[in-house]
Amino acid sequence: MAMEDQEKLLTEALNQVKKNAFEMKTCLDNNKLMDALKYASNMLGELRTSLLSPKSYYELYMSISDQLQHLEQFLIDEFQKGKKISELYELVQYAGNIVPRLYLLVTVGMVYIKAKEGSRRDILRDLVEMCRGVQHPLRGLFLRNYLLQCSRNQLPDGNTQGEQDGSVHDSIQFIEQNFSEMNKLWVRMQHQGHTREKERREKERLELRILVGTNLVRLAQLEGLDIGIYQKEVLPNVMEQVIKCRDAIAQEYLMECVIQVFPDEFHLQTLNLFLKSCADLQDTVNVKGIIIALIDRLAAYAHRSDSGGIPAEIKLFDIFSQEVTLVIQGRAAMPVEDIVALYASLVNLALKCYPTRIDYVSKTLGCCLEAFKKREVSKIDSSNPVYKELIRLMKVPIETYEDTLTVLKLENFPDLFELFVFQGRRALSLFLVQTIVDRDCIIPSSEEVEQLFKLISPLLINQPDQPKEPEEDDDFVEEQWLVGRLVHLLKASSPDQQFVTLSAVRKQFGAGGDKRITHTLPPLIFAAYKLVKQYSTLQQQDDKWEKKCERIFQFCLQTTNALTKVKPDMAQRLFLQGALAADQINSETIAYEFITQAMSLSEEESSDLRSQQATITLIMGTVERMKCLGEDNHATLRTNCAQASARLLKKPDQCRAVLTSAHLFWSGKVAGKELQDGKKVLDCVKRSGKFAQQCMEKVVQTQLFVELLNSCILFTHKGNDEVASTLTQLFDKVKEDVKGLESGEESEQIRKHFENTLEYIRNTSGHFGLSV
Amino acid sequence: MARDATYDFDFHQVEKPHETYTGTNVRLRYFLRVTIVRRLSDIVVEKDIAVHTLSQFPELNNSLKMEVGIEDCLHIEFEYNKAKYHLKDTVIGKIYFLLVRIKIKHMELAIIRKEITGTAPNLCTETEQIAKYEIMDGAPVKGESIPIRLFLSGYDLTPTMKEVNKKFSVRYYLNLVLVDEEERRYFKQQEIILWRKGDSKVARQMVTEK
Repeated sequence: MAMEDQEKLLTEALNQVKKNAFEMKTCLDNNKLMDALKYASNMLGELRTSLLSPKSYYELYMSISDQLQHLEQFLIDEFQKGKKISELYELVQYAGNIVPRLYLLVTVGMVYIKAKEGSRRDILRDLVEMCRGVQHPLRGLFLRNYLLQCSRNQLPDGNTQGEQDGSVHDSIQFIEQNFSEMNKLWVRMQHQGHTREKERREKERLELRILVGTNLVRLAQLEGLDIGIYQKEVLPNVMEQVIKCRDAIAQEYLMECVIQVFPDEFHLQTLNLFLKSCADLQDTVNVKGIIIALIDRLAAYAHRSDSGGIPAEIKLFDIFSQEVTLVIQGRAAMPVEDIVALYASLVNLALKCYPTRIDYVSKTLGCCLEAFKKREVSKIDSSNPVYKELIRLMKVPIETYEDTLTVLKLENFPDLFELFVFQGRRALSLFLVQTIVDRDCIIPSSEEVEQLFKLISPLLINQPDQPKEPEEDDDFVEEQWLVGRLVHLLKASSPDQQFVTLSAVRKQFGAGGDKRITHTLPPLIFAAYKLVKQYSTLQQQDDKWEKKCERIFQFCLQTTNALTKVKPDMAQRLFLQGALAADQINSETIAYEFITQAMSLSEEESSDLRSQQATITLIMGTVERMKCLGEDNHATLRTNCAQASARLLKKPDQCRAVLTSAHLFWSGKVAGKELQDGKKVLDCVKRSGKFAQQCMEKVVQTQLFVELLNSCILFTHKGNDEVASTLTQLFDKVKEDVKGLESGEESEQIRKHFENTLEYIRNTSGHFGLSV
Repeated sequence: MARDATYDFDFHQVEKPHETYTGTNVRLRYFLRVTIVRRLSDIVVEKDIAVHTLSQFPELNNSLKMEVGIEDCLHIEFEYNKAKYHLKDTVIGKIYFLLVRIKIKHMELAIIRKEITGTAPNLCTETEQIAKYEIMDGAPVKGESIPIRLFLSGYDLTPTMKEVNKKFSVRYYLNLVLVDEEERRYFKQQEIILWRKGDSKVARQMVTEK
């Protein structure tokens, strides 16, 4: 039936309804009940049609139900006025056609119940019985739905048996009878019509499923329904009906409906019956979906703080573990991904209900492995539907355990890991590390390091089944940074243990190849320096501490050396950092060694000019900070620095570097004391000035002299008399030079720089003896 | 007679054995006829009197239960709670389906009146459908039991009359009809006896009269 035809039919039908409803209401207004009933009957006649689709029929039904409420209200008012309409129940049964007759009978029956005329129980029984007359599936379903909806608030709910008005047991019988008849009709739809229309029929059936499900909802809403009644009267009958009907669509829907509609406490006490029924369902029913829905619901229940939790006598995990095994054994054709989904659900149950039972999770993972072995599943890649499910399964324990490292205790976890191709292993490794880092999980010893690194080896070393050499793209770099962050979570119980752990990590990282170590070794080295500091603070308790620190520095030396060929800049800086670390524990030998290592790298590399200048500045900055060096060593370094400065290529670089080296002679410390060699400082300043003079561009020259001036002011401020004496001359020269600058952007900057300098001078008392 | 006059009359203990009946081919009436005899033409005036035959609840009134069917097609068992119904009675029963191999569209119960006039071998039967009552909509399956509840007071019925004056009979039948998707009709006719029940006031009068 085409869409347009349906629409036309429906519109026509709705028009008829409107017309008849209008007449009916007019008659009611004029107190002409019999005539009103005639029009009501005409209106209901539209529901006799066989031409409408379920959707259209539903619309028609809703429209008519609305109109019938007017009739119902009129009758209730009549009763309230004291009018006796006792024969009305009989009267409406004179109607010749059954569909209008029964709708009217239900309406009147409800009025009788509301007006407390006659026994509720008897009326309800009669109505649900008489509805048998409509055997047409669609019409029958809607009629019985009408009965269910109208009786919604009129069902007896008390507990007294045999009472004239009815008890909750009568309501249960009423609803169960209505439910089983509706289910029968619903299932009957499956076999109506041609086989070629099966798909459309099944789609229509699904549209109507809520009509059948509402019966179960109504049962659950009975206040008088307690766990005892549910166990004895309700669930067994519902399950019988579900299994008896032998219809996959009905079974699948109704089982899930039962799970959703009744409270979790009820489910906990009826697991055996429910699960046994699952085993008796048709082969095509998605049993996995049903069991997973139940498990997830109970897991959530256990997890909620306001619930009582799982009663101790119910061995929930064992029950479901057994059930899952039975289901999998009983369905040889079950696809592997469904098996995995079932186990994932079981893991979820174990984690939510029995969080301390790691063995439950291990056991489930073991079962999953077994299932894979049986089906000869391996090398799972993303084209395999198992991939998604297995990743999901593996992620559950990682996400759930608060201390993510608990995952390392799961027996069968690594074996499942290995079943993936590289992609999958990498994805899981990343997820694991990300979770550990996000949660700040402490890695306490080298044992955990071994286990963890074994799992995340896709991130650490090239894998045999890796597609190609890893490219150093953003993803790769981020991945390695993540691995590097693990270093900061290494917190052993003692410094000695920490060193063992760091060494273990070093070994693992070393195997990663050049692209990886540039990201992973630096944090390790810094962790080692941190350890040195730790030993230093605890030196009272450990008389071997200095020896131990020496060993650590050796470790750092070797580790940094591994980086010299790959990333010399970084190695250089690491050496300088090491020097500082050594300086802090007053180890002159080590500090000197590290600085010279850094300096020798400068000579070896042929990096660009800018980094050369930056490097020498960095080295001098480090040397300036040193406290532990003696005169010999410090003098050697000073000289070398000065020479290196002078050997830079460009004049401005030479000028600036030599200027920086001046600081070595002033605030540089020998055996803890500042040199404050004013004369040597002046030499540097003078040499720096010479280099500045040799710059051809006036702008550059002037800029350099402004900087020179600032340095001199600084030295003067620190008490360097030699420099102070040249200050005035220098100042005047700079003033002249700045004035004589041509206009331009650079000149503006230099002028501003000089202005700032003037400002500083003015704000210092004494003005450094300068006239500003 | 020159002016208005009133004359009393009294028919004592008139036999009124039968109920008044107006049918298709036959009429049974009781009436009062006044004839004023004159020289040339008489004046005749008739006044009809309605007579009801009342009965009491029959002592024996078994239910009607029967299994009928068509081989390999349709087997049903019907049950009506009584064989004899009074005119304000309710036919209560059920239809139980033992075998269903046809595509049923609906099922109805009809009340048929047969008026049989004449004497053998010249019998004339007039059949009239008094009522048509739908008792099932849609196709049942085996094992289904469909309830019947038919209120006779909704229809214009008379008691069953058998061989009145050896001249005619009026008999009633319940006709169970099943209609399939191709408009084929399967039916089973079953006679029921209808009788008229006196209402309580009349019954008391009858008792006191006797």
